Amino acid sequence: MLPLLTLHFLAAAVAPVLVRYLHRGTFPVLALVPAGGFVWLLVHGRPDGTDLEHHSWIGTLGLDVSLALDPLRWTLSLLVTGIGALVLVYCTSYFRAGDPGLWRFSAVFVAFAGAMLGLVLSDNLLLLYVFWELTTVLSYLLVGHNPERSANRRAAMTALLVTTFGGLAMLVGFILLGEHAGTYSAAALVADPPASGPLVTVAIMLVLVGAVSKSALVPFHFWLPGAMAAPTPVSAYLHAAAMVKAGIFLVALLAPAYADTPGWRAVLVSLGLLTMMVGGLRALRQYDAKLLLAYGTVSQLGFLMTLVGLGTRSAALAGLALVLGHALFKATLFMVVGVVDRSTGTRDIRQLSGLHRRMPVLMVVAVIGAASMAGVPPLLGFLSKEAAFAAAEDLGHDLGWTVAGPLTLAGLTLGSILTVAYAARFVWGVFGPAPGVDPCSIKRPSYWLVAAPAVLAVASVVLGLLGGPLTELLAPHADVFPAGAHEPELTLWHGVTVPLMLSVLVLVLGVALFVARHPVAAVQHAVVDRVPMPDAERGYQLVLRGVDRLAIELTGRTQRGSLPFYLGSILVVVAAVPGTALLLAWEPTDVRVADSPAQVVVAVVMAIAAVMTVRSRRRLRAVLLAGITGYGTALLFDLHGAPDLALTQVLVETFVLVTFVLVLRRLPQHFSTRPFTLSRWVRVAIGVMSGVLVAGLAYVASGARVADPISDGFAKPAKEYGGGSNIVNVTLVDIRAWDTLGELSVLVVAATGIASLIFLITDRATLPTTRKPGHDSAWLRNPSLPPERRSIVFEVVTRLIFHAVIVFSVYLALVGHELPGGGFAGGLVAGLALMLRYLAGGRRELDAAAPIDAGVVLGVGLALAAASGLLPTLLGGGVLQSAIVDVHIPVLGTLHLVTSVFFDLGVYLVVVGLALDVLRSLGGGIDKDIETDHDDAQDDEREEVRP
Amino acid sequence: MNEIPAPVLEWDLIAPLMVLGAVAVVGVLLEAFVPRGPRFVVQASVAIGGVVAALGTTIWTATRTDVLDGDVLARGQVAAEGALSVDGPSLFTWGLLLVLALLSMLLFAERRLGGGLSAFTGRAADAPGSSGEAEATRHRLEHTEVFPLALFALLGMMLFAASTDLLMMFVALEVLSLPLYVLCGLARRRRLLSQEAALKYFLLGAFSSAFFLYGVALVYGYAGGFGLAEVADAVASRTQERPLLLAGVALLAVGLLFKVGAVPFHSWTPDVYQGAPTPVTAFMAAGTKAAAVVALARVLLVAFGGAEWDWQPAFWAVAALTMLVGAVGSIAQGDVKRMLAYSSIAHAGFILVGVVGATGGDGITSVSSALFYLTAYGVATIGAFAVVMLVRDASGESTDLDTWTGLGRRAPWLAGAFALFMLSFAGIPLTAGFIGKWGVFSAAWAGGLWPLVVLGVLVSAVAAFFYVRVVLTMFFDEPRPDGPLLAVPGAMTTVVVTVAAVATVALGVMPGPVLDLAQQAGAFVR
Repeated sequence: MLPLLTLHFLAAAVAPVLVRYLHRGTFPVLALVPAGGFVWLLVHGRPDGTDLEHHSWIGTLGLDVSLALDPLRWTLSLLVTGIGALVLVYCTSYFRAGDPGLWRFSAVFVAFAGAMLGLVLSDNLLLLYVFWELTTVLSYLLVGHNPERSANRRAAMTALLVTTFGGLAMLVGFILLGEHAGTYSAAALVADPPASGPLVTVAIMLVLVGAVSKSALVPFHFWLPGAMAAPTPVSAYLHAAAMVKAGIFLVALLAPAYADTPGWRAVLVSLGLLTMMVGGLRALRQYDAKLLLAYGTVSQLGFLMTLVGLGTRSAALAGLALVLGHALFKATLFMVVGVVDRSTGTRDIRQLSGLHRRMPVLMVVAVIGAASMAGVPPLLGFLSKEAAFAAAEDLGHDLGWTVAGPLTLAGLTLGSILTVAYAARFVWGVFGPAPGVDPCSIKRPSYWLVAAPAVLAVASVVLGLLGGPLTELLAPHADVFPAGAHEPELTLWHGVTVPLMLSVLVLVLGVALFVARHPVAAVQHAVVDRVPMPDAERGYQLVLRGVDRLAIELTGRTQRGSLPFYLGSILVVVAAVPGTALLLAWEPTDVRVADSPAQVVVAVVMAIAAVMTVRSRRRLRAVLLAGITGYGTALLFDLHGAPDLALTQVLVETFVLVTFVLVLRRLPQHFSTRPFTLSRWVRVAIGVMSGVLVAGLAYVASGARVADPISDGFAKPAKEYGGGSNIVNVTLVDIRAWDTLGELSVLVVAATGIASLIFLITDRATLPTTRKPGHDSAWLRNPSLPPERRSIVFEVVTRLIFHAVIVFSVYLALVGHELPGGGFAGGLVAGLALMLRYLAGGRRELDAAAPIDAGVVLGVGLALAAASGLLPTLLGGGVLQSAIVDVHIPVLGTLHLVTSVFFDLGVYLVVVGLALDVLRSLGGGIDKDIETDHDDAQDDEREEVRP
Repeated sequence: MNEIPAPVLEWDLIAPLMVLGAVAVVGVLLEAFVPRGPRFVVQASVAIGGVVAALGTTIWTATRTDVLDGDVLARGQVAAEGALSVDGPSLFTWGLLLVLALLSMLLFAERRLGGGLSAFTGRAADAPGSSGEAEATRHRLEHTEVFPLALFALLGMMLFAASTDLLMMFVALEVLSLPLYVLCGLARRRRLLSQEAALKYFLLGAFSSAFFLYGVALVYGYAGGFGLAEVADAVASRTQERPLLLAGVALLAVGLLFKVGAVPFHSWTPDVYQGAPTPVTAFMAAGTKAAAVVALARVLLVAFGGAEWDWQPAFWAVAALTMLVGAVGSIAQGDVKRMLAYSSIAHAGFILVGVVGATGGDGITSVSSALFYLTAYGVATIGAFAVVMLVRDASGESTDLDTWTGLGRRAPWLAGAFALFMLSFAGIPLTAGFIGKWGVFSAAWAGGLWPLVVLGVLVSAVAAFFYVRVVLTMFFDEPRPDGPLLAVPGAMTTVVVTVAAVATVALGVMPGPVLDLAQQAGAFVR
């Protein structure tokens, strides 16, 4: 069986190449493939049981190519291959020579035939699903072949969506069933079904959703008429013989084991009968011959589903016979419509007139097909309908349906009456005279075009006469069901029985309905126009529109590109989820609130400053208030007994504050005016939530300490190996000197990077070589501020303290080992001194105070630190190892020198360099920018004055 | 003084990382010393060569790992003093990342499309629309730094996926993120959008990294160690201090889920994917997701596997929401790149479904299903973005979906490839996406998460609706008269699209080898 499938897909692959050379002649060649399959199946003969064939594909996922052949599959495979071959032959003459889409169409069509065959032959349910979806996608491509109007495309899309949805539901059902039973083999699942229970019921219902949607039952029926946009060969194959039968096939396959599942019969029979009615009634209102057939197909599919869904022996036989009969007559009729369409250019039965004279052969073919559909003896349609009536009659006995049985029979009868009526309407409409329309002029169809439907019509007649052998052929499928009241049989003459009477009744009433079609149509229109009917298609459209709407609303509300919103949503989740976790698992811990009242005061001040920062509308004020929280932290450090930390914190805070202010010059004074709207309250709430969360985490974390702090072990080595009692500083320059060195490198890179960015904007990459004389001053060397911005007091103070501060900074750097201070603090102090010069005298004054490139300072600092780390290795020590040297200096006393002080000096230089960099870029650079703007503004003014 | 023992590094195991890191550093040096003229070609060749070399090394390393004894399949060992775990999943992810990066590098190096210039701005420091920018274009300046940057990001991704130590993971997170922030802001066209994207990505990314770090601190406080194995031991033995643990897990998850792009930390994705230069978007969408998913899985399964019941419900919700929001959101998009961004969100959801299934054993496991999904998703994503690069008009890429109508008529092969990627995203059988979905759903199923599976299948239907609609627009609508020009694809982009398309089909039809590889990768080694 696998070679058969492979052959189809190979044929699909070479089809485009063939089309290039053979054009329309490709189709007969391609037809050989399904025809070969047909012959093989015939030669192979009907299997008695289930022949399995196994090839492994994706073992890990339980996906195997396992194929099976049993009586049901054999019958359907014959249909799929036989009608496939005929339709391909029909295509040869159907398409016009030179149709540019032929290469695609031919390939997709053969691939579809392969997929359909695969679907029917699959034993593994997952493989079945794969083929199922493949038929969906390929059928879409076929339906969408050369679509003329956008309405067609929409309809085609509907078909795709509805069946894909059904397919997915079915997949879930398969998985439920397969996982529950531990196998995905259909044969195993039918032979040994899992014990029924809610899970199995749900699984089966999901599978039925797939079957019902694929076979176009109410409420999914609307896609099939929509798909009539397809070329007629596609309709003849997909919508008569092949794809729509997939759902029927699936139900027939599972019915032996699962027909007793709660809901199975109720759903299938009620939906089937409803569909039969709805389709029949709609068919009576169509004017497009193809749409008429489409609704007729919907109706017949309902009929079929009812039969295969009933799950009794006689119904199963009738169902299989009807599958066969329907495929033959419906394909015939579709092909007839195609011929008519090609010959006259229209399918509208109001415009088709007089064809009975011009196309007599075709009419005979059509009449046979329609008669089979209507159930006229001695055709196959009659046999299957008789069997169906007989099966429905026995329901009372077979299933104990005392009420539902007769109702089902009545439903089938009513549906059949409608079938007769629209069959007559079809033949009369297409071939009969149309009032007020001249007989159509026709283009004589090619011989081949008529041959294909003719063959099928003949088959309907022949099989109708061969009731006995046919029964024998199809019975093994039905025999898996328990025996019913009567042994079913397909035959022309049962004797005078209820089914025969019903058949006669159906034909008489159906013809009557056709004769009285005008009054009936009037009533129908009146009812449909007045009474609001539930419309599945409207529902489908509403769902689609709803999803669209939801998508737009959702993205419109949440994806506005607003950073605060994004951040807010993250913060809310962070506050909510860990916050909830925190609350749920809350364990109270003992926490000391404060060591001294002073701490409380500082904390309160900091909190107030934080709140006021957020509330302030001026940028400068916000920065200053934020600074208060920083200084407060320093104070807390000091109160906790860490003066060195406090010193560093104060220095950093000051440095940052000034830097901030330098930058703020280029920003507007106020934050943008924001009214206190709801959104701001929301933000306030988010902020409070985040704060509470962080506080909660700190609380929990502080109570969780079980180990000793690592710093406990630092005090002794700091003194013994590092030679200093300022533990923090020794840690920086000795114990953790590697870290410091790394940080220094990062600092240098970052400083250089940021400065170069700003210099690039302000074109101030190098120090000015020619020193422009600034304004005269007795106190400063080269002040460049305009006179109105100078302050004599400031200049005097700067002059007085600058050198002292520099000396102090060096002192701090040197004593850091023993006392609060260190290279970092010293560097910051030096930086602040430079800042003082800059603030008092402007950028030229800064250049005068430090006539050196910041980069050089940074580089020297880093080099010094690195060298002092490497030097010990030359002397036989470890990297960054410190030596303690006590040098006795006369007069001054003993100098306690630890070599790591050189490392610390490196740190000092890097920090000074950084300060210079910041002042030059953010200070001087921006100054220059402002001056340029100012000059430009003045130029503009002058120009305005001049004329 | 106590001697500090020198760390023992298993050079043979971490060789791929070393090779890649070295090549990235060489790239920085080349930037400094190679003259401007040949620099682009040199950088591109070195980057591509480096990735190939690292890929070769990865394969070499993978062949040398041993299967460990134990009740679950696992291979490899912990290396680099407990910082990295060179195990099956790591090696698979490395290989995957390197292949994806190789494809991305080809897109980075493509210069045929923009008039002989790459997709990156000539001089990022110029203000958009300024005279400096015009000058840079006139002098045909190019930022060749993108290659070393991308390599560093790649190195970060590889580290991220293999870290078995929270601190290492944080470092990797930063190494992978920082270059990407920069790369996002370097688009040649629509630079304001690009810069905005970079800034948003940076700010939000910085926040999420901070949360991650906070989480690391809390978990450290709980477990007394950074190693995932130590954490796992603590989770198994300690019963006090649960709040600390739970809050720590939640905060770690924020950082990881942000990188995965899961709801509610997804909001950056559309903006950033849209704004970033398309090659970067492709690289980021495929690579970051792969690395982040593996890292997330490792953290959840290795470190917090013992506290499964505490975190699983939250992750179920995240997975469900992510699928829903991603799929529904993509429907409303009119821009191809944004649409792909939403689709990537939805895929993150599908992968999470597999990951939170937390199943081991002989069948399809959480890890192997996620790995396969990432492979399928990664190739299709890069392929799709490569197609986006080719559909252009006068102002660059034409990403408005309206202008794509009828593309199938004018460029059947290109549109066909795009349609193929869409079908794979939709999970249609015989494409890689179907096998991927099948895998994660099976894993989740085996973990007992059937409601998530059912939801996932339904969401797949919604998503399929959307993807199919795109395919329809391309094939069955009339081309617009003012439609985009189609650039003549350069050799590199052609290679990328072709490879991606072939891989998508091959993984769909013959997934066996790759699936086995993912399966053989086994469990995480702690």
